[in-house]
Amino acid sequence: MTPDTTDSDGTAGAFDADTGVPDRIADQFENIRRTRRRRALGWLGLFAFLAFATLQAFAATELLNPDARLGTFTDSLTGFFPITSYFGVVPFLDLGQYVAFIRQENLLYDPEIGGLLFQFPPNPTDVYAFFFRELGIFQIFGEAGITLAMGFVGTVLGFPVALVFGTLGSERVTPFPFNFLFRGTMSFIRAVPAIIWTLIFIPFLGLGPSSAAIAIAFDTIGNLGRLFVDELEEIEDGPIEAMETTGASKPQVVFFGMLSQVRTAFIAWTLYIFEINVRIGVTVGVIGAGGLGYVLASQQNLLRFTNMMATLLAIFFLIISVELFSQRLRSRLRSDEVQMGIWELVAGFPRRMAESMLK
Amino acid sequence: MTYIEVDGLSKRFGDTVALDDVSFAVPDGEFVIVLGVSGSGKSTLLRALSGLLSPTDGEIAIAGESMVGPRPEVAMIFQQHNIIGDMTAYSNSLSGGVHRSGFFSSVLQLQDDAEKHRALDALDTVGLLDEAEQKARSMSGGQQQRIGIARALVQQPNVLLADEPVASLDPGSAQSVMGYLRTASEDRGLTTFCSLHQVNIARKFGHRFIGLRDGEKVFDGYRDDLTIEVIDDIYGDIDTEGMFVRDDGDADAPTDEVATS
Repeated sequence: MTPDTTDSDGTAGAFDADTGVPDRIADQFENIRRTRRRRALGWLGLFAFLAFATLQAFAATELLNPDARLGTFTDSLTGFFPITSYFGVVPFLDLGQYVAFIRQENLLYDPEIGGLLFQFPPNPTDVYAFFFRELGIFQIFGEAGITLAMGFVGTVLGFPVALVFGTLGSERVTPFPFNFLFRGTMSFIRAVPAIIWTLIFIPFLGLGPSSAAIAIAFDTIGNLGRLFVDELEEIEDGPIEAMETTGASKPQVVFFGMLSQVRTAFIAWTLYIFEINVRIGVTVGVIGAGGLGYVLASQQNLLRFTNMMATLLAIFFLIISVELFSQRLRSRLRSDEVQMGIWELVAGFPRRMAESMLK
Repeated sequence: MTYIEVDGLSKRFGDTVALDDVSFAVPDGEFVIVLGVSGSGKSTLLRALSGLLSPTDGEIAIAGESMVGPRPEVAMIFQQHNIIGDMTAYSNSLSGGVHRSGFFSSVLQLQDDAEKHRALDALDTVGLLDEAEQKARSMSGGQQQRIGIARALVQQPNVLLADEPVASLDPGSAQSVMGYLRTASEDRGLTTFCSLHQVNIARKFGHRFIGLRDGEKVFDGYRDDLTIEVIDDIYGDIDTEGMFVRDDGDADAPTDEVATS
């Protein structure tokens, strides 16, 4: 490298006498270092502010000098996880106590209703009674069935209203200021949590699963409707224009041009909201609306921690089952593959299960 | 007799002039090809004819009636097909005729049998009768475009507008879609406007040609008037060698493959 680099402006060819680095490079290096230093200071300030704000929040939540009782908590934990000794020596988690409570309170299965269906030889009168007199499809699952039914009814009742509000809330359907009539209504519904809606409906339907189901339906209008509006923002103009050129009426353009583009998405979102609604069913149960949440709350009041844990296990089982079902269905809807028939779905299950285990 | 009359049509989008004082008259039943490079105003002209765009200046009259919005007797076929992928070919075809039924009967597909036969007949015209129950999304680009034609036919139009119907298709599908388009328009006596940028396909299928360049009409004439000089004029400075095929030439000659702009 010769010192005489031929630069047209003359200045850029200068060198720093000590380091031998060209000034141009040294300048840019200094420039970058300054920028980096400024940025680091900015981050430092941001972290300092966050730490300060967090401290204030700790104070507001009384976490700075908490009324901690570690002993009581440890005691309750032994209640949550009861220990038994096998052969008098090996300590082991006493699962039997959980199972006993789940059976005693019919948390997952109601033998009185289920007995109509499961008997040998099958009794046609009882099977008829199960489906049409006792209406037992949900009740066979005991308390879990009540929670599941709350989420189901809420979704079924909320869906059509959410569909209407979501569609009319889209700017492509209703011109700008008027669509906010529907979006605003949905925002208002969302602002109030489902548990509060239950409180509002207690004077109307009493404290029980019915007011919980209606409350969940309301919640569904707000949340599902919002998802519908968002989904409708994403659609393509092409099919809408195509339907306009056929001379279709405005409602026909909305249905064929817009809604048919989002049909699978809408079904998938509805299943997702159903999952959430079953969870909300547990929450509103806690304030007394029935189902698993109610059992959980009453055992907590009695300080029977083992029973609480048993109920938690039942809740876990219910939620996981609903999610598995809904996610399978959603991925099936979204996939472009040729769909399996119901028979193939049921009969081919062991083989597919085995195949996926081997992968 | 004049069926479509376009008089002093201009369309501006902000400062951009898409169409500049375009006038022509087309008699009933003609197959018109609109030629021009991308951005020459072909799409704007067809969208204005369909009533999707309202002109800045000038007037379009179809059957003596001014176009102020989409009309059932004017059907349109799009470059991007714009059919509904989630519905079957049959349902898509049926949706062309919804303007004849009410909201609920069209949504629940409770149209009378004559309407449903019409939808199947249109699918038969484009050679898709056997694929009627297939999901449109699972079909090839050429087949999807044929569904688009079927939907337009079920609409029972007098005018068929096709905006670059073969631009996104491979040469084989393009030939077959253009063939179906011409058959449909001849059998049903439709006045057809089709915009294209492939000169070889244009010459093979067109009767009359309208050339656009920078939004202005630079050519309006029949097959014999469409000389190499005219093509040069429409396509400007682009090298047009090989884009032009004489009547005695083979339209599928390899030199034609560069015939895009």
